Amino acid sequence: MRFLPLIWSGIWRKPGRTNLIFLQVSVAFALFGVLQGLKTGVEHVIGDARADLLLVHSSLNVLDDSLPLGLFEGIKSVPGVKVVAPVELFRAIYQNPSQKLGIVAIRPDEGWLSAFTFTIAPDYVAALRSTRTGTIIREGLAKKYGWKVGDHIPLMTTTKQMNGSTDWAFDVVGTYTDSDVGGGTETLLINYAYFDEARFAGKGTVQHFNVAVSDPKLAVNVADAIDRRFANSANATQTDSLRELAQSQLQAIGDLNFLIRTIVSVVLVALLFATTTMMMQSIRERTPELAVLKTLGFTDRAVFLLVVVEAVAVFVAAAACGLALALLVFPFASKIVPGLSMPFIVVALGLVCAVLVAAISALVPAVQAAKLNIAAALARR
Amino acid sequence: MSFTRQFLGILLMNLSGVRQRVAPVLTIIIGVTCAVGVLVSMLAMGAGARRQEMADVRADHATLITTGARYMQSNISRDEVAPILGLPGIQKGTQDEPIVVFESMVPIEGRRRVTGNRIYFPLIGISSTVTQYQPQMHLTGGRMFRPGVHELIASSPCIRQFTGFEIGDRRLIHGSDWIVVGHFEQGQAQQCVVYADVDNIMSTFSRNAYGAVSVRLQSPADFAAFRDAVRANPALQLEAQREGEVAEQGFKELNAILNFVSYFVGTIMAIGATLGAVNSLYTIVDSRRSELATLRAIGFASGAIVVSILVESILWALPGALLGGALAWVFFNGLSASPFGFSFQLAVTPSLVVFGVAWALVMGLIGGLLPALRAARVPVATALRATYAMTLSEGGDSR
Repeated sequence: MRFLPLIWSGIWRKPGRTNLIFLQVSVAFALFGVLQGLKTGVEHVIGDARADLLLVHSSLNVLDDSLPLGLFEGIKSVPGVKVVAPVELFRAIYQNPSQKLGIVAIRPDEGWLSAFTFTIAPDYVAALRSTRTGTIIREGLAKKYGWKVGDHIPLMTTTKQMNGSTDWAFDVVGTYTDSDVGGGTETLLINYAYFDEARFAGKGTVQHFNVAVSDPKLAVNVADAIDRRFANSANATQTDSLRELAQSQLQAIGDLNFLIRTIVSVVLVALLFATTTMMMQSIRERTPELAVLKTLGFTDRAVFLLVVVEAVAVFVAAAACGLALALLVFPFASKIVPGLSMPFIVVALGLVCAVLVAAISALVPAVQAAKLNIAAALARR
Repeated sequence: MSFTRQFLGILLMNLSGVRQRVAPVLTIIIGVTCAVGVLVSMLAMGAGARRQEMADVRADHATLITTGARYMQSNISRDEVAPILGLPGIQKGTQDEPIVVFESMVPIEGRRRVTGNRIYFPLIGISSTVTQYQPQMHLTGGRMFRPGVHELIASSPCIRQFTGFEIGDRRLIHGSDWIVVGHFEQGQAQQCVVYADVDNIMSTFSRNAYGAVSVRLQSPADFAAFRDAVRANPALQLEAQREGEVAEQGFKELNAILNFVSYFVGTIMAIGATLGAVNSLYTIVDSRRSELATLRAIGFASGAIVVSILVESILWALPGALLGGALAWVFFNGLSASPFGFSFQLAVTPSLVVFGVAWALVMGLIGGLLPALRAARVPVATALRATYAMTLSEGGDSR
């Protein structure tokens, strides 16, 4: 502890230089934080996506083709399938075209929730079952528009009703949360039975089926079995887990991994070089002072540690500052990838890197300082 | 002594002292190298994507899309075919048919050869006039698809990137088998594209509107007349665009992302490198206090000192910039990348390198400013007195 004032005065011996190093390290670690955060964040998003929840799409085109509801029994009879849930999707706007919503039509049958990533209070599900035009809205949506249970929400769509109108209206019966990051955040759940009866075209079709498997370890086999069951039929299927879907969605950013790795290493190498020369310069200038310390009885080891600790203190503080900055700007990056958040591990990794860079750049000067010959050093004064 | 001679004298003196200051000078050079290298490499992505997007664009190509729609997302009904074929200015093919290509796109999936990952690529239904529309397109193996039969031809990037595109391979598409009968090359494009007969695709996928129509004009000058004729025709709810405009639009989004990322990373690295340069230059200037004070004492202008330090700073940034550009070229030029679903080769162009050098010169200038001002303000008396004392005690080593 008694070394603290000594370290402090060492840091502020040349305030201009220390400030510049501090800024340089901060900038480098801000960049490190954003890039590494992006890379690791994407890996986390993929890792968090459920591998045991399968989506059965038409193999023709995952984006906009449909499957007949009649496949329900066929999928259900595949060994290992626990719950099958039909899902139909369409888009709507609320009041003006910039307020887009996604509508998810589901059948709230027994056990349906286990085939989704939603969390819904049982009362709300019961209310949806008993209210044909009911809807359970995502919590974010309820906040955004201030919708409450009992509200009647008119929506404009491009989906025609039997009566020719493309306007639909639903009654809010509850709210839900979704742990999955794909598929948009402004969504509401409605009754498939009501929707299918009321719509004009495309009756009896679904966009995909959600499938919960009885044994998560066998999810891949079950997916293959479902696709084999419908291969060579007019409704060939393509079954993927949520994780596989997240993977192919985020493939694009995965392709940038090489670039991100290169940039991060280049930044650290450049930083290391700059700081090493600065440390050496600083120790050279302080040779007489260090010699005085040794004259006063400081051991070689104490002087060595003094130099290293000084560097580590500055670097860790600066890196913390840079990483904080990265945390601050990170929400902008997460606009590109929904659900992305800065993983804590990146901050930890950044601080470890800061300690390493500090230790390496202080190593040579510290050794020099420790080996200092008092007589020779003082003679120069 | 004139300003120029003073300035040159100081500059030469500064440069000749480089041997004693290798470390700070190297710090500047390496910092600038890294900053410029990264910036140029990242901009090379945008340049590569643009080069590829624009490589096959011809001035005599025009595309018809539904007013307000995007390329390949138009809705051009069969009723509009006859009026389109009758439009003026369209080049005639070998059998005197107008060179008009009707297109309809369906995304189908493939598996990557290396990773086995799934990826979507376009299956484009196309008229057989396509070979006359794109003279640079040629078969490298097999034969052309026949209309009315489930046959495909695949571009050579498909064969390199994906499995299942050898000639004779069968692909299950919409419940029926399609046979790969040919391979083709298509100019610069690195994108995997699969062609089949357009009417066949439309009937298979029960579509009744084309996604886009492309025509080859007699000459680029005919475009204006062609566009006006499209506008004037009440049977056509279409808009004519030059191929270049269409390519530019399709590319805009990717370009915006790539540019944002490049300049974001490039700017941060430039700030870091500039800070490093400031620190190094302070060290250099400090080590020269006595020389600078002496110069001031014998009548050198402060302005000459300031300019000489700025120029020195720029001179140290320059080799860094060139080295950075060279490294970017060595490591990244021609490298294949496929971010955001586009695949292209990075292109480190001369203009990018020039931009990188200019970027570095700005870094040098900004980095040199504060140290130069400090150099010009060295108090003559104190600096000389300190040097005098030092000289007495250590025999001339002013460090």
